[in-house]
Amino acid sequence: MKKLLASTTAMALALSSVAASAADCTNDTWNKVVERGKLVVGVKADYKPWGFRDTDGNLVGMEIDMANEVAATMGVDVELVAVQSSNRMQFLEQGKIDLMIATMSDRADRREIVGIVGPNYYTSGTNILAPDALNFTEWEQLRDRPVCGKQGAFYNQIVEERYGANVIAFTGNAEAKQALRDKKCVAFVYDDSSIMADLVSGSWEGFSMPMPTEDDNPWALAVPKAEQNCVFGRFMSGMQYNWHKDGALLALEEKWGIQSTSYLKAQNDRYKDWLAE
Amino acid sequence: MKKHIPGITSAAVTDLPVLLSYKAKYRAPQELGFSHWLAGQSLWFPVIILSVALLWPFYALAQGSEYTMADSFDALWRWMPFLLTRGFVFTILISFMTMLVGTVLGILLGLGQLSPTYVVARASWFVTQVFRNSPWLVLLFIVMLSFPFEFTIGDTIIPVPDWMKAVIGLSLPVMANISEIVRGAVNSVPTAQWEASESLAFSRRQTLFRIILPQCFKRMIPPWMNWYAILTMATPIVSILGVEEVLNLTRQAIEAEDNRPELLIPFYGFVLVIFFLYSYPIARFTVRLEKRFSVNL
Repeated sequence: MKKLLASTTAMALALSSVAASAADCTNDTWNKVVERGKLVVGVKADYKPWGFRDTDGNLVGMEIDMANEVAATMGVDVELVAVQSSNRMQFLEQGKIDLMIATMSDRADRREIVGIVGPNYYTSGTNILAPDALNFTEWEQLRDRPVCGKQGAFYNQIVEERYGANVIAFTGNAEAKQALRDKKCVAFVYDDSSIMADLVSGSWEGFSMPMPTEDDNPWALAVPKAEQNCVFGRFMSGMQYNWHKDGALLALEEKWGIQSTSYLKAQNDRYKDWLAE
Repeated sequence: MKKHIPGITSAAVTDLPVLLSYKAKYRAPQELGFSHWLAGQSLWFPVIILSVALLWPFYALAQGSEYTMADSFDALWRWMPFLLTRGFVFTILISFMTMLVGTVLGILLGLGQLSPTYVVARASWFVTQVFRNSPWLVLLFIVMLSFPFEFTIGDTIIPVPDWMKAVIGLSLPVMANISEIVRGAVNSVPTAQWEASESLAFSRRQTLFRIILPQCFKRMIPPWMNWYAILTMATPIVSILGVEEVLNLTRQAIEAEDNRPELLIPFYGFVLVIFFLYSYPIARFTVRLEKRFSVNL
């Protein structure tokens, strides 16, 4: 009798939890944003040209343009908060920011913490910035050598676990790149699009991006975990879908002088309106 | 025949009772090492730093870079207003608020250490020792990560920005050190004054507030200012936690200028010079006050 009671209780509990997850949408964040009339977006401040400062101190860049468009579509004001790779997910969890568009790679472990919604708005792979003089050609050459990275970036893990490099992680891009110039490490491991942007800027003479790019990894924006399958998450999916469809991301890429990626073109094709033309 | 004078013709010994000079058990806290060091710097110091900072591009130019000195000047000139108005003003705000909070709490804690109630005195002593001996960065991390970013009381939302958390985190060690300054200053007043005022029927509280503390203020001011200078110099550690003060913004500015190596020395040199120019007068003034207020018992 006792056993029966226990099992029915357990079943009832299991059933109710299923029911709860289906109708769990309280839309707290969405309601808060609408109520306060202000969307707080976490963006990068040290990641030119996706998020950086102009001389007046304003945050500008490709992702800031995206954030502004989200707020404009919702009809609210935007407030930008500069985040770092090491604290961006915590800020979103705490509710300090409502939305995060901060050059984050879409990883399985991150999906457990924050509400990542597709389709991914950008992609990049892992590569290194290294002096030509070192004649790097393949990743294995990094084994047991010091490589600079940035705290919170997943590229560090890859070169460390797969190729046995000794990663020295810095808080920001600037320090990591400076350490590379100071010869504290043989290479700076980062994403290929950012390295490409640096090389194009002309301030890295004698350096190049020698490795074959690995792990092409899409970037993701994120809403709080509870909002993922609710209004806010669905809305952000819609925003990204439209950005791909109308080529807005391609236009932004051009505006900010980023080398155009085949990924964005492919997505643009994929989501093209079949009745258009 | 020579006259015999004790102390001159022979060792100064006497069997008469002698009133020895008073030896204070405690001295007013003299933790002015930092101010002495800073005040001892020559004014040439910032000039040298500035010239190195400004001449660095010449050196970099000689290294075969196409980035000219004018570009480098330009960059610093463009960012200077931003770094000063947004960055350094913020640093000063943080240091002011920290000092305010730390002083108020520190005085309370210091008086707590002097309490005749054993439990209060021990508890205050314990709190003082814990915060005085904890690494600043650890305290900062605890406060930054454990405090909410906003409070909601009824319908009003009170935001707690990062810099406010930094103020709380930094004021803990400052509080503990001010507490020691207060305790030391009170103990440096000769105990005879306590006995004298007791004989004049002053209560303990009256003695403390009307007789002892007024004498303490003077001796507390130099170490207090010394701590302000230390604190100001220590403020940039909050940049590690992402608080947007001058060091963090300098870093972002360098990144926005494509992270050119030629900019590093000018930009960081500039930050060093503004910190020096701000703290140096404080240190000089501290040392002057110390000389003026020094009590010779």
